[in-house]
Amino acid sequence: MSAQPKTPDVEQPSIEDRLYTVKYEDPGESHLDVKLPGICEEKCVTQDCVSVCPANVWRMEGDDGVPTIAYENCLECGSCRWACQHGNVVWEYPENGSGVSYKYG
Amino acid sequence: MSTDAQSGEDAGVEPEPEESEGPPMPQSTSETPSYDGEFDAIVVGAGLAGSAAALTMAEEGLDVIMLERGNSPGTKNVFGGIMFTPRIRELTDFEDAPKQRFVAQKTFSMLSEEGDATEVSMQPAAWKEEPHNDSWMVLRGDFDEWFAEQAVDAGATLITETTVTDLVREKGAIAGVETDRPDGRLHAPTVVLAEGANSLVSEGAGLAESQQRTDVAVSAKEVRKYDRETIEDRFHLTDEEGAAMHYFGDGAVGDAVGGGFIYTNKRTLSIGVVYSIEDAVHDERSPDEVLDDFKSHPAVAPLVTGGRMIEYSAHAIPEGGPDAMPDLVHDGAVITGDAAGLVLNNGLHLEGTNMAVESGYQAGKAVADAVASGRTDAAALSAYEEAMNDSWVIDNLNHYGWFLDAAAEDKEFLFDDLPRAIADAETDYFRMNDEPKTRHTKSARKRLVGAMGGYLGAAKKAWKYRKLFS
Repeated sequence: MSAQPKTPDVEQPSIEDRLYTVKYEDPGESHLDVKLPGICEEKCVTQDCVSVCPANVWRMEGDDGVPTIAYENCLECGSCRWACQHGNVVWEYPENGSGVSYKYG
Repeated sequence: MSTDAQSGEDAGVEPEPEESEGPPMPQSTSETPSYDGEFDAIVVGAGLAGSAAALTMAEEGLDVIMLERGNSPGTKNVFGGIMFTPRIRELTDFEDAPKQRFVAQKTFSMLSEEGDATEVSMQPAAWKEEPHNDSWMVLRGDFDEWFAEQAVDAGATLITETTVTDLVREKGAIAGVETDRPDGRLHAPTVVLAEGANSLVSEGAGLAESQQRTDVAVSAKEVRKYDRETIEDRFHLTDEEGAAMHYFGDGAVGDAVGGGFIYTNKRTLSIGVVYSIEDAVHDERSPDEVLDDFKSHPAVAPLVTGGRMIEYSAHAIPEGGPDAMPDLVHDGAVITGDAAGLVLNNGLHLEGTNMAVESGYQAGKAVADAVASGRTDAAALSAYEEAMNDSWVIDNLNHYGWFLDAAAEDKEFLFDDLPRAIADAETDYFRMNDEPKTRHTKSARKRLVGAMGGYLGAAKKAWKYRKLFS
């Protein structure tokens, strides 16, 4: 029996466990939105906002082709803003220090 | 200097209905409810560029206010891991700065998806001597807070939890900022934009265009805690020595222009992936899944196994180079750091922290001279752009500006075929069997030359990438 060297296990945390490590203050309302839902419905077939998001903020949950936005997951990287080829992402800074607070960065 | 303009503006401001509910504008001082018109310069963002600018201007005797949207400087900031410190060491008592480890060792590895790895590792003795090639692993939470404190100690005012939402214009020139505070409009003759990669204010005010997604990278990173001994054993480090490990190839971030990294802090590792948004939208995996796959590569897993994740973070990096840079100087405003696209990635040099500090410093000097002259239009501030154009910052960006386009063009070759061919060539070259070594060598050479597209292809590629080494 030959022992194959085994690659050690590494933790593969769920996105929930990942986000649990980030200090967060809810601004109370979303700092993200879609400009025109019609563009998501009629023009977008790739959902690039969903593909690029490292925090599972943007999700295709309904049948209407308009993403739902779990803004309280947002890590404020801004990637969705550049990813959307239709320029259809509304992105504002969360107000008054709310949103993520990185301790280590 | 903007007194008459200021009074004119104040007359037009309507009272905010929810004013009593919001926190008052002044944060770290006890009275003076209005800062409006009190300052020579407003700095948007207390990151590396902003604090460098504020510190420089305060030392030149200017009244400076720094507005930071986070609840302390650094809380909105993420980077890979290395502070390059030539300028910051001159500007501060750098021995007091909260640092982790200096870069004693640097590695570049090419990873294939199948688990192969080829690593080049270097640890010049010179890096172990002060000032350690001005390369330190830091954590931005405590580092940025410390750097902003240096500006405050020099006389700058820091206001946190305050987001700049727009710029104020008067007669076409920028004359202040709007904030999300009640009565939060501030006037000053100059605004230093140091708002970072997601530069909403510069873009919103028409000073910068939105970047193409091929020119912006997304990064996902985790900070993991280990015993100090575990880190020092795994990376062969003693004392304050640290390792900066860079990984390329489809074993790192898939078929994408980008890479993975591990930086050693005292008791934590910063582990992350960076790749262009253009590639990220085409990868079936989300950035956190790409990070998980990178960590699981056989060459990476033994270095990162165990420990405990203490923070997950994500950020964008402007990598468009000189063509994607906005105009640095405007009437009443200058743009610095990431907001100005000052990041260098040529595959080998991965820099931004030094360029942010340098730009903040140069901007601060130019603003101080302009304010002293009584004129802060673009012509009066142009010394900033000239200083940058004469500096290593723009020189480096121009010299390597071609690289990421070339890498995107040759993506399949660089990140897929080449790691595979090198691993296969290694396997052949060092093969142990009953064939003579001349046959192994021939076979190895064939694999490499084949991957390059023959000798002509190899010559073309060598010519194309020659500027990496010239």
